[in-house]
Amino acid sequence: MQGRLHRPRLNARLAGVLLLGLLLLSGCASTPRLAESTEQSLPRQAWVADVPFHAQREYQCGPASLAMVLNHDGVDVTMETLIPQVFIPGRDGSVQPEMLATVRRHGRIPFVLDDTLDALLTELASGHPVVVMQNLSLPAWPMWHYAVAIGYDLDANELILHSGEEAERIESFRRFDSTWARSERWAFVALQPGQMPSGISEQPALQAIAAFEQTQGAEAALPAWSALVERFPTSGMGHFALGNARHASGDPLGAIESFRTSVAHRDDLGVAWLNLGLTLHANGEEDEARQALQRAAALPGHWQKRATDALERL
Amino acid sequence: MKTLRRFLSPLLILALVLGSVSVSAAPLPASELISTQTALSAERADADRERIHEVLSRDEVQKQLIAQGVDLAEVEARVAALTDEEAHQMAEQLEQLPAGASVVGALLVVFIVLLVTDILGLTNVFPFTR
Repeated sequence: MQGRLHRPRLNARLAGVLLLGLLLLSGCASTPRLAESTEQSLPRQAWVADVPFHAQREYQCGPASLAMVLNHDGVDVTMETLIPQVFIPGRDGSVQPEMLATVRRHGRIPFVLDDTLDALLTELASGHPVVVMQNLSLPAWPMWHYAVAIGYDLDANELILHSGEEAERIESFRRFDSTWARSERWAFVALQPGQMPSGISEQPALQAIAAFEQTQGAEAALPAWSALVERFPTSGMGHFALGNARHASGDPLGAIESFRTSVAHRDDLGVAWLNLGLTLHANGEEDEARQALQRAAALPGHWQKRATDALERL
Repeated sequence: MKTLRRFLSPLLILALVLGSVSVSAAPLPASELISTQTALSAERADADRERIHEVLSRDEVQKQLIAQGVDLAEVEARVAALTDEEAHQMAEQLEQLPAGASVVGALLVVFIVLLVTDILGLTNVFPFTR
């Protein structure tokens, strides 16, 4: 008898806890707001044409998403090729570092975007499909998922995605952002060397191109470095990187010019002085080589010893 | 045997000394520029120690991927495509890294909670709730 009396109260309490939990959860979710400047500069609707749709098979949304963005950008690769390159059978899925690495293997540069809806929509408006990572479920029981955003409608507050087994699926900004926020709004575009996302800042761009250069070599990365210094003309590190790529592609004079530009913008960049000195020396310009190496040797840090050694050997 | 050793030891020492001298006195070829990747990672603290870690990481990642069922013929190319940082991240936390797409546990309570959150527009688990 007693047990029966208690049970409704217990159920009520459980229901209350659940309800409270849900209210708290929904308290965090609302239609995401765009920055005023984005709102004004973006077209009301955008649609990236010619993104082929590949329906995922079991758990293979990673390879499917990669195939879509790579095919769109003219890379001729099938899902069958991508599956053994990026899928981890033991995890029933694909992990973020390998998604990026696989893009690099196919000659494109993956740029991870800023974690805002603004950055995502801006890329769509510039005609780049965007791979997004979502947790379609709750953090406690995750259901991780990759999809490809291909368009949006600001008036309807909707995003259009090739997702899972569904092409051109429409998701409200609110629902999409709730699921996307659980991956810390992880998204990337796969671009040809020479192209860059419009909103990217200098440091992530440097890292992305350097990573690409490591797998694809200096010559393949050359257009990307040129684009970087065009976007960030005062980037000392950017000119330094361009100099290295030119040097490795057999253009020492171009390299010297880039290293000079680099130290002109960043007089304290010891590593650029060092490479400038070494390249000048190899080119027979001893006086200027000595000056550059002396400058490198005078700057405290990693490269001081290398510069001193090189000076001694002149 | 003893005489042989008496001869050999000074010879070996001499060879080693000469060897190290010739290495340090060799002219520095211009191709020995500092690479962009090295320069970028040196900007972070403890770069040298990290590099040692990262060499170890790649072996570790390779082992883990094989254990997770990745094709032996593919594993080397996959690890080679990672940057040092990515290899490090994979070695440290492959188990915790989110992998698209995992499955939801099939508990009834979970089902009901997710059904409600789906209807509220917080999740997107069931296709029929849209």
